[in-house]
Amino acid sequence: MTIQQQTTTLGFVVPTSRVVGVSPGQIVDGHIPEGDPRTAWERRRADYKLVSTGNRRKFTVIVVGTGLAGSGAAASLAELGFNVVAITYHDAARRAHSVAAQGGINAARGRKVDGDSIRRFVVDTIKGGDFRAREADAYRLAQESIRVIDHMNALAVPFGREYGGTLATRSFGGVQVSRTYYSRGQTGQQLQVAGAQALLRQVNTGRVALHNRTEVLDYVIDDAGEVRGVVVRDLVTGVIAPILGDAVVLATGGYGSIFHKSTLAVSSNASAAWRAHQRGAWFANPSFIQFHPTALPAPTPEQAKTTLMSESLRNDGRIWVPRTAGDDRDPGQIPEAERDYYLERMYPAFGNLTPRDIASRAATAQISAGRGVGPQHDSVYLDFADAMDRLGHDELERRYGNLFEMYAHATGEDPYSTPMRIAPAAHFTMGGLWSDYDLRSNLPGLFTAGESGWGYHGANRLGANSLLSACVDGWFTIPNSVADHLARRLGRTPLTPGDPCVAAAVERAQQRTAALLAVPGSTPPREFHRRLGVILYRGCSVERSQQSLTTARDEVVELREEFWKDLRINGTGHGLSITLEQAGRVADFLDLAELLCVDALDREESCGAHFRVEHSKDGEAVRDDDNWSFVSVWESNPTESGPRQFTRHAEPLDFATVHMTTRSYA
Amino acid sequence: MTSAPTLRPPRCGPVPAPSREMGLWVWKVAMALTGGVWALFVLIHLFGNLKVYLGAHAYDGYAHWLREVGYPLVPHQSVLWALRVVLLVCLVVHITAALVLRSKSRRARGAVKAAAAPTVSRWMTVTGILIAVFIVVHVLDLTVGAGVASDHFTQGSAYANLVASLSRPWMGIFYTLIMVLVAAHLWHGVVLAFNDLGTTSKRWRAVAKVIAGCVAVAIVLGNAVIPVAILVGLIR
Amino acid sequence: MKLTLEVYRQASPDAAGHFESHQVDGLDPTMSILDALDTLNDQLVRDGKEAVAFESDCREGICGVCGLTVNSRPHGPTPNMTACHQRLMSFHDGDTVRLEPLRSAAFPVQRDLIVARDHLDDVVQSGAWVSIDAGTAPDADTVLTTAEVSERALTFAACIGCGACVAACPNGSAQLFVGAKLAHLATLPISQPEARKRARTMVAVADANFGPCSLHGECAKVCPQSIPLAAVAAVPKERIRALRTDAHSANG
Repeated sequence: MTIQQQTTTLGFVVPTSRVVGVSPGQIVDGHIPEGDPRTAWERRRADYKLVSTGNRRKFTVIVVGTGLAGSGAAASLAELGFNVVAITYHDAARRAHSVAAQGGINAARGRKVDGDSIRRFVVDTIKGGDFRAREADAYRLAQESIRVIDHMNALAVPFGREYGGTLATRSFGGVQVSRTYYSRGQTGQQLQVAGAQALLRQVNTGRVALHNRTEVLDYVIDDAGEVRGVVVRDLVTGVIAPILGDAVVLATGGYGSIFHKSTLAVSSNASAAWRAHQRGAWFANPSFIQFHPTALPAPTPEQAKTTLMSESLRNDGRIWVPRTAGDDRDPGQIPEAERDYYLERMYPAFGNLTPRDIASRAATAQISAGRGVGPQHDSVYLDFADAMDRLGHDELERRYGNLFEMYAHATGEDPYSTPMRIAPAAHFTMGGLWSDYDLRSNLPGLFTAGESGWGYHGANRLGANSLLSACVDGWFTIPNSVADHLARRLGRTPLTPGDPCVAAAVERAQQRTAALLAVPGSTPPREFHRRLGVILYRGCSVERSQQSLTTARDEVVELREEFWKDLRINGTGHGLSITLEQAGRVADFLDLAELLCVDALDREESCGAHFRVEHSKDGEAVRDDDNWSFVSVWESNPTESGPRQFTRHAEPLDFATVHMTTRSYA
Repeated sequence: MTSAPTLRPPRCGPVPAPSREMGLWVWKVAMALTGGVWALFVLIHLFGNLKVYLGAHAYDGYAHWLREVGYPLVPHQSVLWALRVVLLVCLVVHITAALVLRSKSRRARGAVKAAAAPTVSRWMTVTGILIAVFIVVHVLDLTVGAGVASDHFTQGSAYANLVASLSRPWMGIFYTLIMVLVAAHLWHGVVLAFNDLGTTSKRWRAVAKVIAGCVAVAIVLGNAVIPVAILVGLIR
Repeated sequence: MKLTLEVYRQASPDAAGHFESHQVDGLDPTMSILDALDTLNDQLVRDGKEAVAFESDCREGICGVCGLTVNSRPHGPTPNMTACHQRLMSFHDGDTVRLEPLRSAAFPVQRDLIVARDHLDDVVQSGAWVSIDAGTAPDADTVLTTAEVSERALTFAACIGCGACVAACPNGSAQLFVGAKLAHLATLPISQPEARKRARTMVAVADANFGPCSLHGECAKVCPQSIPLAAVAAVPKERIRALRTDAHSANG
């Protein structure tokens, strides 16, 4: 097959925006190696500059976050001989939220004879992401996936095995081959703990200095515009101080918890990434957020956490709602004729097994039409009555016993006799800090890795690709590209803590903390977070419209102004204050939320998880490749109050080996 | 000039090397081994004790054999004394280890005690101390013939001494109670010894439990019954 | 539902601690004990008081951070379950519930209900890893490991590092934690070469910071991952095996 490089880039013009306050910016270069994307990574690695072994200890790399991407980046850099400062706000490296991933990790090893290959992996990933990711990125993901499995196995991850001793795989949503490696239902935990232990091994050698309970508040940027360090707050003592280095890697995870009710951890936040954005780092596709269809609804409005239930439940459960809105009868009292098995009705071919985004959207449509069930009318039934008749109690227990038990613990209801209640919940953010092919942000010296970046997944992430992308970034990309960056800076004079740019950054961080503490209001930060979640779920979740987004943006701006008038923290900020931590994170969410709405408003098409009702036909998404085949790359322009001003740059996307097609599951 | 406030020191470099004192695991292994020696002794002693049911002749003969075993290959009483030395060393090591581990436990736990279930394992120190007291009493009573011994104590008349001593109700009750405590101590101790010697397999842990149960039952049935039998006049 | 929360307060690592009593109304039986603390904190902040510092993160029982002591039981009244899954339905309306940090001398209080569990990481850092650098690993399929071996390793690898086992132990021992790590790494073929060195360093560091195991079995009753009590025996097993010097063994 010959590669025909498409030439759209040459003729590409950044389209104007219809959104108030948005001006079009420049064409962004993703620095993808020219030519065949299949060999791009190999060629780029051969081009990277190297730091000789003796010189490596002269450099310090700051890695923020110790999840799968962060611990991999820190450990691999230290293994090579670089000094690393690793920072986590947790008490221990192992707690990072990668730990909560259940299903598995994909790899294009193609060992079976089911036709899997690197190319098929790339096609699945690009297609799954609805053609809004870089093809060359996906090739790197596929190619390095092989070494990722070998490496994580070597770090003593007990992967599922066949009786003969080779690795076992299973298939996952969105693909027709079996390429997902797993460790029971705790793949994330096993990978995360192995990564954290590899990090601690380097701590033991003295090459990594690990700051726990330490949060990044700001960045040290020198006169040449290069990121040379971070400003952190010691969460135990309250001390705010700079940490200087030669490069900063952000591996700080996704921002799905901006929705308050999400499958993320309560401490997960966007602050490190957002503060970098405020210092000039671009943000890509912020509105591309995946909603997981089978989360447990939180029983009361105050609760943030929606526990994730495995998607496998949809294999035997039937999803339905009452036909009449507001039907509050006990589910057993509602006769068959008055139930609507809407997925089976709308998508007879796939039924209850439609992909995540479609299942989430359909459920949301039912709930917003008033047919939601449960005390807050915010969920749909997942009914196992038919499966009970067909399979019997014992077989159901064998297949789903632990999940049913988890559900019973969480709700006090018995799913064998009463239908489960499930609801879509914010889950994974495909968007994030913009980076080029080498994971460099537009600010020299600042890199991103894992979910805090935007790569690979386009507008929708395939199941089991997130653990993989974090590992590929951390273990196999960052050590190459960061070394290249450092090689070009050998002999540079290091910054000293007394440098004016360091003092300025510390000053900014202190002022920000003081400003939060000084708000003379009466409302705890959690309450603002809860209200922000309500606004975003209503206006900017699985279904968006110009109307809903415009309203949401206005409400966000209003809530932000109220926040800065009515917040209450109490205490001095010296020492440990969980309210101050929350307040800082909510303040950043309130800024990011506006960009979320603006990006969703701006993108006049439907793709992947981004579903604009104006851009749909018969309820199906309508993608617009002619006008929107690019990455929205955002820059915020500071304003004192009211709605913010934004510049939208654009990185055009070309595909050489994957044909652009329309997703359809009807 | 005041120095800028600093962050807590990061985790960096090897974990501080533990001091030169012996690892807890060494004490645990020592306890398991010495406890094991004593458990074996208690079992053998138990078999010897059973001769009490066969009458004075059999019992005294056994006592005599204990003193003479090995003769003429080795001098009189030498095997007996060798056993005594081994047992004494084991006892000293066992008690020392217990004291060291107990103090480590208290220090490691800190000021607020755990609300743990009142299992036999929680009473090992108490049962251990009482057993130690008993060993002294027992040696004085039936070996040396001093202090707590009965007024009729005669060196060499083991059977008569036993019956005379345990015919005193308080001594009989004391022996019975202590034997129940020995059973309890070994019930947990045997399982713990297997554990502390690294028995992780399901089967062997089950075996340890069965052995521990049998030992405990045997001590209660074999030893604790003797004073009762004497008190009620079955043995005289 | 209404509860009286008797909460341990301690302003800083070296301050003295005390209990404070607060009534919290409007709770729901399906809420977790941590949700009740969230509710209390909102109430405290509105009243102009500082919120109770406590730790929680994933709230689905896997991150292991939410250790606290509920009515003298690490994590709470229901056995083998993290605090984030302990529901208020275990209590009666009007009950008084006492909330303390995880208790152990090895876990110094940082503030209120938050403790430092750094000594657990000390043990991990001293040897619970494999010395294989990125990119140098052998093909995972060629390191044959049967399904049974992998499953057994996973039983121990399931540990979430919450430290409840230490807090439940009358001896302040971390042996369930240390044993789980050692057993996991000694079971898998890929991590066996370093088994002896690992056992020596990890047991030495554990012994320096934690108490000895007396097999009280309290750890296994609170362990949210139901790690079998047999894990504690892996510590002496691996340590005794490590008595043989590496020179005498091809196997590390």
